[in-house]
Amino acid sequence: MSETQFGVTLPARRGFSVPIQVIEAGGVTAWLVEDHSVPVVSVAWSWAGGQALEPEGREGLAGMAASLLTEGAGDLRATAFSDALSDEGIGLGFSARADVFEGSFRTLTDALPQAVALARLAMTAPRLDEDAVARVRARALLAARQQTESPGAVARRAFWETAFPRSSLGRAATPETINTITTGDIRAALDAQIHRGGVQVVAAGALDAAGLRALLGELFSALPAGTPPALTPPGPMEMFGKVLRPMPGPQSHMVFGQDALPPTDPDWEASQVAIRILAGGGFSSRLMRTIREERGLTYGIGAGLSVAFGQALVQGVVSTENARASEVWRLVREGWTDMAQAGPTEEELRDAVAFLAGSLPLQFTDSRRTASLLLGLRQTGRAPEWLAGRPARLAALTRADVARAGRRFLRANTLALAVAGQPLGL
Amino acid sequence: MTTLTRRTALKGAAASLALPALATPSEALAQAATPPPRATSRGPDQPLFGAVTWTLDNGLRVVLAENRRAPVAAHYLFVAAGSGEDPAGKSGIAHYLEHMMFKGSPNVPSGAFSRVVAREGGQDNAFTSRDMTAYFQTVEASRLPLMMRLEADRLAAPLMPPDEYEAERSVVLEERRQVVESNPRSRFREDFDATMWGPQHWRGRPIIGWENEIRAITRQDMIDFHARWYAPANCTLVVAGDVREADLRRWAEEFYGPVPARPALTRDRAAPPEAAGEARLIRRDAGVREPSFLRAFAAPSATWGDRSLHDALDVLAHLLGGGTGSRIHKALVEEGLAVGAGASYSGQVLGVGSFFLYATPRPGVSTDRIEQALNAVLSELLDSGATEAELRRSIRQETAGALLALDGLGAAPRMLGGALSIGLPLDAVEYWPQRLASVTLDQVNAAARQVLGTPGANMAGWLLPGDA
Repeated sequence: MSETQFGVTLPARRGFSVPIQVIEAGGVTAWLVEDHSVPVVSVAWSWAGGQALEPEGREGLAGMAASLLTEGAGDLRATAFSDALSDEGIGLGFSARADVFEGSFRTLTDALPQAVALARLAMTAPRLDEDAVARVRARALLAARQQTESPGAVARRAFWETAFPRSSLGRAATPETINTITTGDIRAALDAQIHRGGVQVVAAGALDAAGLRALLGELFSALPAGTPPALTPPGPMEMFGKVLRPMPGPQSHMVFGQDALPPTDPDWEASQVAIRILAGGGFSSRLMRTIREERGLTYGIGAGLSVAFGQALVQGVVSTENARASEVWRLVREGWTDMAQAGPTEEELRDAVAFLAGSLPLQFTDSRRTASLLLGLRQTGRAPEWLAGRPARLAALTRADVARAGRRFLRANTLALAVAGQPLGL
Repeated sequence: MTTLTRRTALKGAAASLALPALATPSEALAQAATPPPRATSRGPDQPLFGAVTWTLDNGLRVVLAENRRAPVAAHYLFVAAGSGEDPAGKSGIAHYLEHMMFKGSPNVPSGAFSRVVAREGGQDNAFTSRDMTAYFQTVEASRLPLMMRLEADRLAAPLMPPDEYEAERSVVLEERRQVVESNPRSRFREDFDATMWGPQHWRGRPIIGWENEIRAITRQDMIDFHARWYAPANCTLVVAGDVREADLRRWAEEFYGPVPARPALTRDRAAPPEAAGEARLIRRDAGVREPSFLRAFAAPSATWGDRSLHDALDVLAHLLGGGTGSRIHKALVEEGLAVGAGASYSGQVLGVGSFFLYATPRPGVSTDRIEQALNAVLSELLDSGATEAELRRSIRQETAGALLALDGLGAAPRMLGGALSIGLPLDAVEYWPQRLASVTLDQVNAAARQVLGTPGANMAGWLLPGDA
């Protein structure tokens, strides 16, 4: 069945599915999307943990530990390790997020053995040389101090610390905490985090099942048995109303949010559609239209769902001239109320579902993007079939489904707001 | 290449949605894997993308870089005009016009463009740099003809509706407040460029424009700019992805062929000043917590000055300050003087290029100490020259990952379109790893002497905490 738009006849969509292979070796399971059209392989893996495992007063520890894994390992000091990667064009990195610790690399197939060997060396024999620790600490201190230069970052910080005062989510690295961290702390954090158990692995690109099986053995078999410690979920956020961080400057930077439906909720995908229509759809969202396109009040406004510890939060950001902050805030809350009360129009629903289902192929043009998508699915606890079933589930959503989902989490009266700037009338 | 993206704000928004701190895996990798490149798996004579190119009767250049990994196509239209073409006293036109191009064309109502792309599961955006303005979409391959239809419509005749004009000016001014005025480091960079090159020199003006000049732009200014620069012969269409040449030839004729031909223009960029506006720029800003140093030198580019030094300057920037193992990293970062320090070269540009040195001191290290250390590195390099081992290491590391540009549909159009838009041949991109590999030690040392040894326009600047 074809259709015509702007005089262009379009063929029916070909339909798109990507086979996800599930590979197991030595107790480690990996998902694989195989593609040999480009001689590149991306592998990514993660454990539960990250910043959630930082003891109070040691904020910044997980990030420093992650950075230090590529600052020298085995016999290779920092420069030699960096050269070993750069000489082959290998991108290897580790990072700590709110509730996960991740590693990943991308390499040309020629250099895959070298990439695996260096990733394994980083995880099993990080050197933590004194000079490397000092360099990484200096970078962390700089980043912590520069955070306070940017109004956007200040507003974001204010939001999280007020929303989650009793959780690691609400704590941030400061110069004081970073200066307290010792090499012993870093060693202990890595020992707690990196294990053969509890690791979720994904791979994308020019690699077959046998190749991945061998890779899993090589990458993870030398890691200590066991798993990282269990995490304590933070619980619901504080509905804190408004918090202001006065800062000089022409604009008010606003961060707003509230609890949303968790990814396990049957209305999860309906809630994704609701938030896309309201604020997440770039130029087609309602808030972008009313606040940017019609009134010119901002360069951009967007909101989306983020997930950590199995909980979801809807969070948005917008910047506007100080004098117009209260008008923008009123329009945001009106948008929230309208969506909660009336749900989407038939056309909005159709467009949002068409985008969410139709954009699937775009996620598979780049091996890192594919790996990142797969790892996200695993971290959320999805089954491999979840992705293939998504277009059909989205197509089955009705206006009533999306309206109901919206009503369940979009609450204008408790939407929390953090502002950095000199807003008038808020 | 410095660019402003129509949706920078949204990208920022998306990034901030991640729970506190630190990068998503892709961001972490992007840093670790910072591009360039090598070309080992392919033979020495093989082009990187194997792109094909032809020209329509109206002068539009078309380029196809086929990549069949997924049923997806990227469609980029590059206009060879950027903020460098903004008329005197009217900085910001090229960028403001980019915004207004989304406000409809004869067959596409205002705002419909992005909605249609989204409904088809695609993504669209645009950016403006000094040298070019680009409009692009990524869609399922079967939707490519629709993108071509929509893009050709606004290339030929954007509506720029008078009643949407002022609201969009407010958006641009908010963009300026958010991207420049709210960020002390952006304020400093703007000030630095204006002071060094001149506030009305094409290289010294901000891409987004000076605020009073953005306010002064009229609708007629923009119509004139479009009429002058958005001629098919001044544009390059680049398609990457799962597309056959025969199909693209047919569609290009059908959709872009009818756009009337207009004269192509050559661009004549003013020469750089003999000397920078000031020798040094010291700025104190109460919003800054950490000092930072920047020194810029006017340099030959791929299109200006001694062009044979372009590749050598690339290699020079790497061995001098391209991260761990480079001379500056050893002397400043490993010695504990700086948190970060390095060099970079912006040379694939129209007109004069720039060579930069930068450093962020460790707390307690004086600004003098940082400058002394950097000067010592430069003196040593100029006195004794780079070594063969350094040259080989830099060439190896810069080219090692060249083929990674095939991983994704963004690199091919940006590299190919970027080069063609400033008048370079396709081969400048297709064979860059081979070309870089042929750089000699003599060329690197000559480049160092010319740019750093007997410098022309150059300026050192400090951004310091404190009250102005």
